[in-house]
Amino acid sequence: MRLSVKNLSAFYGKKKILHDISFPDVRGGMIVGLLGPNASGKSTLMKCLSGEKKSKGDVVFDGENLHVVGGKRWSEKVATMPQTAPAPTALTPTELMWSTARALALPYSNRELSWKIERIFDDLGLSDFQLDALHTLSGGKRQLIGLALAFIREPELLLLDEPTSALDLHWRMIVLDLVKNKVQQSGSVSIAALHDLDLAARYCDLLALMENGKVIASGTPKEVLTRDNLARVYHVKTEIDLSKHGYPRVDVIGAI
Amino acid sequence: MVNILRPIDMMQTSTLEVEFSRLSRRRIFILSGLLAALVLSLWLDILAGPSGLSAGQIVDGLISPQSLELRHKIILWDVRLPDALIAIVVGAALGLSGIETQTVLDNPLASPFTLGVSSAAVLGASVAIVLLPTIPFVPPAFILPVLALIGALGSSCLILMVVRLSGGARETVILFGIALVFLCNAIASGFHLIADADALQQVVFWTIGNLTKAGWLEVAIVTCCFLVIFPFSLKHVWLLTLLRGGEAHARSTGINVSRLRTWVIIRASILAAFAVCFVGTIGFVGLVGPHIARLLLGEDHRMLVPGAVLCSALILSIASGLSKTLIPGVIIPVGILTAIVGVPLFLSLLVQRRRRPS
Repeated sequence: MRLSVKNLSAFYGKKKILHDISFPDVRGGMIVGLLGPNASGKSTLMKCLSGEKKSKGDVVFDGENLHVVGGKRWSEKVATMPQTAPAPTALTPTELMWSTARALALPYSNRELSWKIERIFDDLGLSDFQLDALHTLSGGKRQLIGLALAFIREPELLLLDEPTSALDLHWRMIVLDLVKNKVQQSGSVSIAALHDLDLAARYCDLLALMENGKVIASGTPKEVLTRDNLARVYHVKTEIDLSKHGYPRVDVIGAI
Repeated sequence: MVNILRPIDMMQTSTLEVEFSRLSRRRIFILSGLLAALVLSLWLDILAGPSGLSAGQIVDGLISPQSLELRHKIILWDVRLPDALIAIVVGAALGLSGIETQTVLDNPLASPFTLGVSSAAVLGASVAIVLLPTIPFVPPAFILPVLALIGALGSSCLILMVVRLSGGARETVILFGIALVFLCNAIASGFHLIADADALQQVVFWTIGNLTKAGWLEVAIVTCCFLVIFPFSLKHVWLLTLLRGGEAHARSTGINVSRLRTWVIIRASILAAFAVCFVGTIGFVGLVGPHIARLLLGEDHRMLVPGAVLCSALILSIASGLSKTLIPGVIIPVGILTAIVGVPLFLSLLVQRRRRPS
């Protein structure tokens, strides 16, 4: 599997908000991290890649172009975990998973589906809450359910919009370890919008740094996480060193 | 699709399957209870009345109408049965319309009535009563329901237009519906100002909501409308359940939420329009019936949609029975009783749920 994004542009009305986005081709088993400050276009890019928002340019995954095959075929390959966690209603996580699988006509028998849901909940530490109402769960738990909803679709392209923003450090590591394992085992591709630079450096194979709807740097974490790039995009003074595991580690000294 | 999950043993039953099945069985049991209560309520509603018909005579009359005296046959077949059945079908229609509107607009106060359907029906009814117009090929007795229906369907068309123009934005739809309520009420008030005392009394009586003027034709029309629309609602139960997880989640799965919302608002408005045009505005049922069902059955729309239909039909059926028995010899307009029946039921469920540990 291979994802190629070339000259992707998107508009709100007549205003261009994504400017000819391109980044290096992504092979199966890789995680791409989208970095950038608020309103840099990460979420819009996610929506374009999922087919939720119309765009121009080439998005080719596994030989199929988004703008040729159309949204329905595309949505069979792609699952998105949106930035917003599932709403705090009286619905239970199991009902939400079940209805998602059935509404999308996923080809599982009831028994198979219940096993899959149980395994995903087990992986994400949600087993004790599977029949609790969503409104009784914390924001972090609901964010994990959002991830579970993406996992149940077993996508070839997994899009994660700030998947760990409501999680504590322990669950951030578990979630990203899980995503990495799943992506590597299945040979699928994941793109994750992240705010935490250290987590991005640790878990992502490629990074794309965005500013005002443009990718201003892309490549390996070592190539992207440089003092100049971070100063330009985040307006902060930093020092970069390497952790003992070989990842770049960002030490923010202060705002510029 | 790639399998990124661990291999699973398909022969064993998972704990989740057992617990989820248990929950589903409990909810089916509750639905069965509601259906049984509705049948009982229908029976008591048919029994209620001052003519002295016994239960045995009613059973005989239902099996063999010729066994009854003519006046008893007329009372049973032309008065009590249509009255009791219209309560159930109108309640069912309003309940279905209410639950679907609440879900797609993600608003617990939403109902076809907050979208202006009932106010537009009142406006149509006011025109019919005050101006006494004639319509070619429409018998005089049907001018009022036809104009009420035209008003209600007209408001539905306006709402639909706004849905299309706004791209299905729920806030815009709700705000426009409320604006439409005020507009229709204002115009209807203008007609009331020029109405004589008799006409004004008729308008007030119609606005309260009354089941006693319905006959078999009205029962058949509302039932057909319900039976045409209900399968579409059942077809969408998974999508509606999924939508309760939030619009962002639904959109992220590739579902066209705006299209779903448009279809649901069309069918909910049409259903409510047909329900109110014959019996007047009985708005409360469509609001509280779905909430009672939600308290009893949760948010799984496989259970909630039929639950809302049954709860709303039950409330209106109980109200219909009470309207004939509370004051001997007097039939109280049912619209007055729906809130009196529904609110205590709703409050008791709310209190019970608060007391129950989560």
